[in-house]
Amino acid sequence: MTIPLAAFIAVSALLFFVGAAGVLVRRNAVVILMCVELMLNAANLALVAFSRRLGLIDERGSVFVVFVFVVAAAEVAVGLAIVLAMYRNRPTVDLDEVQQMRG
Amino acid sequence: MDGIGTALFAVLALGLVGGGLAVVLVNRITAAALFMAFTFLCNAGMFLLLGAEVIAMFQVIIYVGAITVLIIFGVMLTPQGDRRYGLFFQKQTPVAAIVLAAVAIPVVVFAFSFRDPTGAPHLAPGDLKALTTSIFVDYAVPFEIASILLLAAMVGAIVLVKRESDDAAGGER
Repeated sequence: MTIPLAAFIAVSALLFFVGAAGVLVRRNAVVILMCVELMLNAANLALVAFSRRLGLIDERGSVFVVFVFVVAAAEVAVGLAIVLAMYRNRPTVDLDEVQQMRG
Repeated sequence: MDGIGTALFAVLALGLVGGGLAVVLVNRITAAALFMAFTFLCNAGMFLLLGAEVIAMFQVIIYVGAITVLIIFGVMLTPQGDRRYGLFFQKQTPVAAIVLAAVAIPVVVFAFSFRDPTGAPHLAPGDLKALTTSIFVDYAVPFEIASILLLAAMVGAIVLVKRESDDAAGGER
């Protein structure tokens, strides 16, 4: 275990901002969901790294990773359902062209 | 062993960031989904490198297995032909790039400057016992609530994609 904690945290931060760039930059709804998953994975990596290296008693951080798994599964299921319902109304997943929910 | 670990870390870090960049930059959506699965696999390797075997197993089962399949279902059910590369970025890209760089650069620099605390206890290899004790004893109630969340998400997904009753026999689009 000689790899420093900072290396894991730096990789996690890089992956998170790559995912954030994807969310901000892409216009395909499914790709945006993928990029959200990338950001969740980056957060998981940071949680596990801190938990394994700094855990004083036990692995509390890893428990939150399990909950993040659950929330990610729920999020992607509902998100894809919304995208499919949107696509059925009008066959596009281009978020620039979706005007119906705009206030 | 240390040299192998460092080399493995370098490969996995390259795979993670490169796979993420490929998801953002590749034009074909199916390829992006497969790059996403590759990124998830590299993340599972990172978990193994950190000694969290159970989390790595969950990562492979849930992310590489379930979520990737779900995303590919989403890709396949929303066909939309080929698009020109320039069309796939949003209009706000320059603003987004500036704001993101302004936030990301300090955070990444701070992450690189993070120092290991001296004298922190190193956990025993293997995380199964500690993890299961935490989940089923200390976090039993949140665990049950998470199962209710999954049930609610399943019902919600079914309701959202349910067709109206008159064209229920219309078959899949």
